[in-house]
Amino acid sequence: MSALVGYAFFGGLLAYATGAAASLITGRSARLARVLCCSFALAGALLETLSSWLALFAASDARWEIPAGVPFLVYSFRLDALSAYFNLILSLLAVAISIYSFGYLRPMDEKRTVGVFGFFYNLSLLSLTAVFTASNAFFFLIAWELMALTAYCLITFEHQHETTRQSGVLFFVMSHAGTGCLLIGFLLLNLFSGGLDFSSFSAASGKLTGVSQLAVFLLFFVGFGVKAGVIPLHIWLPEAHPAAPSNISALMSGVVIKTGIYGMARVLFEFLGVPPLWAGTVVLIVGVVSALLGVLYALMEHDLKRLLAYHSIENIGIILIGFGASLMFITLGYPRLAAIALIAGLFHTLNHAIFKCLLFLGAGSVLHATHTRNMEKLGGLIRRMPRTAFFFLIGAIAISGLPPLNGFVSEWLTYQALLAGFGTTEKLTRVLFPVAGSLLALTAALAATCFVKAFGITFLALPRSKEADDAHESGFSMVAGMGVLAAACVALGLGATWFLPVFDGITERLLGVRMSGELVAVKGLVLTSGSARGGTVSTAGIAAMFVILSALPALLWLLWGRKGHRYIEPTWDCGLPGLTAENEYTAFAFSKPLRMIFAALYQPRREIQAEYEVSPYYPTAIRFDSEIESPFEERLYAPLQKKILSIATWMRGIQAGSIHAYLAYIFITLIVLLLFGVRP
Amino acid sequence: MYFFEDPQFGNRMITLMAAFVLVLQIAMVGQRWLVTNIRVFAAQSFLLAGIANTIAFFNHAPHLYVAAFLTCVLKGIVLPVLLERLVKRIDIGQEIAPIVNVPLSLLISGGLTTVGYVVAESFHHPEGAASPASLGRNTLAVAVSLFLIGFFMMISRRKAIMQVLALLSLENGLFLAAISLTYGMPLIVELGIFFDLLVAVMVLGILVYRIQETFDSMDVTKLSKLRG
Repeated sequence: MSALVGYAFFGGLLAYATGAAASLITGRSARLARVLCCSFALAGALLETLSSWLALFAASDARWEIPAGVPFLVYSFRLDALSAYFNLILSLLAVAISIYSFGYLRPMDEKRTVGVFGFFYNLSLLSLTAVFTASNAFFFLIAWELMALTAYCLITFEHQHETTRQSGVLFFVMSHAGTGCLLIGFLLLNLFSGGLDFSSFSAASGKLTGVSQLAVFLLFFVGFGVKAGVIPLHIWLPEAHPAAPSNISALMSGVVIKTGIYGMARVLFEFLGVPPLWAGTVVLIVGVVSALLGVLYALMEHDLKRLLAYHSIENIGIILIGFGASLMFITLGYPRLAAIALIAGLFHTLNHAIFKCLLFLGAGSVLHATHTRNMEKLGGLIRRMPRTAFFFLIGAIAISGLPPLNGFVSEWLTYQALLAGFGTTEKLTRVLFPVAGSLLALTAALAATCFVKAFGITFLALPRSKEADDAHESGFSMVAGMGVLAAACVALGLGATWFLPVFDGITERLLGVRMSGELVAVKGLVLTSGSARGGTVSTAGIAAMFVILSALPALLWLLWGRKGHRYIEPTWDCGLPGLTAENEYTAFAFSKPLRMIFAALYQPRREIQAEYEVSPYYPTAIRFDSEIESPFEERLYAPLQKKILSIATWMRGIQAGSIHAYLAYIFITLIVLLLFGVRP
Repeated sequence: MYFFEDPQFGNRMITLMAAFVLVLQIAMVGQRWLVTNIRVFAAQSFLLAGIANTIAFFNHAPHLYVAAFLTCVLKGIVLPVLLERLVKRIDIGQEIAPIVNVPLSLLISGGLTTVGYVVAESFHHPEGAASPASLGRNTLAVAVSLFLIGFFMMISRRKAIMQVLALLSLENGLFLAAISLTYGMPLIVELGIFFDLLVAVMVLGILVYRIQETFDSMDVTKLSKLRG
């Protein structure tokens, strides 16, 4: 059994590596390179899925070490429950994305760059697998940096556009700042543990005391927070995700930002010892802020992919709410509640990965057909691309947290954890948890609003441009890729109770409890919150009710409605034909009420200029400009950037450009060091 | 027993020659003419070869003979000839064009010699059996001083060719330090260093020529125009 895990794991790595090499070698024949790239990635992903699924339920951790021949560095892989779970997320998505890419990359057949793309794509899958399974701090950092590099190359793949290059640089800068924090953090942990292996860190976690715990927490929270895209470290995310090709956006939003979540789970629950109360509080508050602001900014976006990118921030926030609550429960001594909150966070990680990937693939499909991401130019696509529209709708329902799909289950678990926290006796939790819960409810409602907009404006009504009018359904592989994910959304929603045992290994290792038995009742049909006062819900039951209730109108019609007259007319024209796209609601107008309600946050600035000839009451043309403030860029990053630049300008004075000056620097340093060295 | 087999005599010889090497180095700092400088350097290299021979003889380290021979040929003959030809070919003025004037340079060189002695003192452990105690003390001080003064010359002279020369005398300091502390590095390392030097001087010679062509001067301060 464990041998099979190893064979599948390394077979998968080998397939990724072969895929990278093969697509680079065959780059001259784009068609061959495309097929090889996607097939090897698919094979690797399937093998990795198998290996991580087996490892999730294995009794002991699978572990392999390959000496690197360099001090401190060992290529050590470890598939414990947490690693296996995240590797499972990665490989599931990689399966769908690889299938999708067969068709998505087809237009690149003439350009011959597909080989390079395949190289980086396979390499990034390889490095992501290594990030999730590395067990040595240096090896982890190498994999982490390789992942950042390949992600950079993939983001800037369409580097002809100026904005794409800028987004790539922004990603790179932020990513490196984060890695710097991680490096210091690992070295700090090494001071206490004396080793660089993850198991030595968790063994030494008890040695961390007040200040060092604070330092470790902050360094890792910032370092991983950058990659996860928590507010206020998120600014790279809405730039980089839309700039990348859509299958890469799906990979980025589905998996790459989850590496930050993986790192946080690993460090906060394993290496930090007993977390202090403020740690959980900070994570919870950051989670709430990210969730709420993420969805609020998403509402203001009319670029389909930017909108999705902001929703990633929101969902990372929801995951962190679960993590933060779990940490607080650990500190306060409620391991069972901690386990529920952790399960909620981890389950939402998987769910978000799946439906966000699905939505990005859907957006990619739209982009593929219409060549525009601007929602104001879309519309009417449900008739032209019915399958894409259907799968996008499933993703939209899932992300909005509506039953019976998977997003609902994990958000429901998060609510249950927060409500259970209200039931404890601690003052802080009695105040904090209800507030967090209500803000989470607001977030979910706003997310639903946002996806009514995203789906309605993009797919319904009449096309707003010629491109949208000419759209056509995507090919089989693209639809199949989305179909796999949509099926997973439904399966994880209806079958959530059967999926919960997956978390037993993780919670047992991190918290010492197995919860799946308590969370499930009535032979797996009903999900409970594990406590007497908590709620219960059955997604299968809700689904069954949907079916029954939707049969009811049909029944009524059969009984009484058959005798009436039937008129078939276009929707919404009230019998007066001649509706055009100009009559339609726009995305901008749809979000107007929210722009007014949250005016204090958005600080909308609008400018109306009317041109007239005779009187201002008879304008010939009206120009309307509206803009919302981006507070983090303007208030936080712009001053910081200015400061760094001014320091850099000041430092530039040292660079005199004269050989003598440079030699003198070296000389003076040398003399000072020599004299310092001979000091008795 | 002949007097020249007495190790004490050998040490005195070495110290004397090292003193001359230091004097020549300071003479280079005080010297205003390029060609004279090159010749002083040649003389210094011959003395250095002498020191290497002496050490080889008294301490029975035959591989040092090879190093001594190479020093003699390369630094004493080949490089000076190359440099003099370069000076003639690009037909530059003979002045060395110092940034720091000569009296002040001499003063600083004196200060650097003191630094050299202070630094070398810290390496001196008479009780340590492994170190060639009496040999190391003075010679190492001279070596460090050579190195520092050579470095100082690089900084304080404008002409690119003087920097080449200063680099070479700096390397003389390193060579002296190596042979006085450890009776010479392994031969293969020595050979590597010599080859390195030869290549460096050739490259620098070409570079100097190019600077002359481009800027119509050998003044490296003009290179700051290249700054973006």
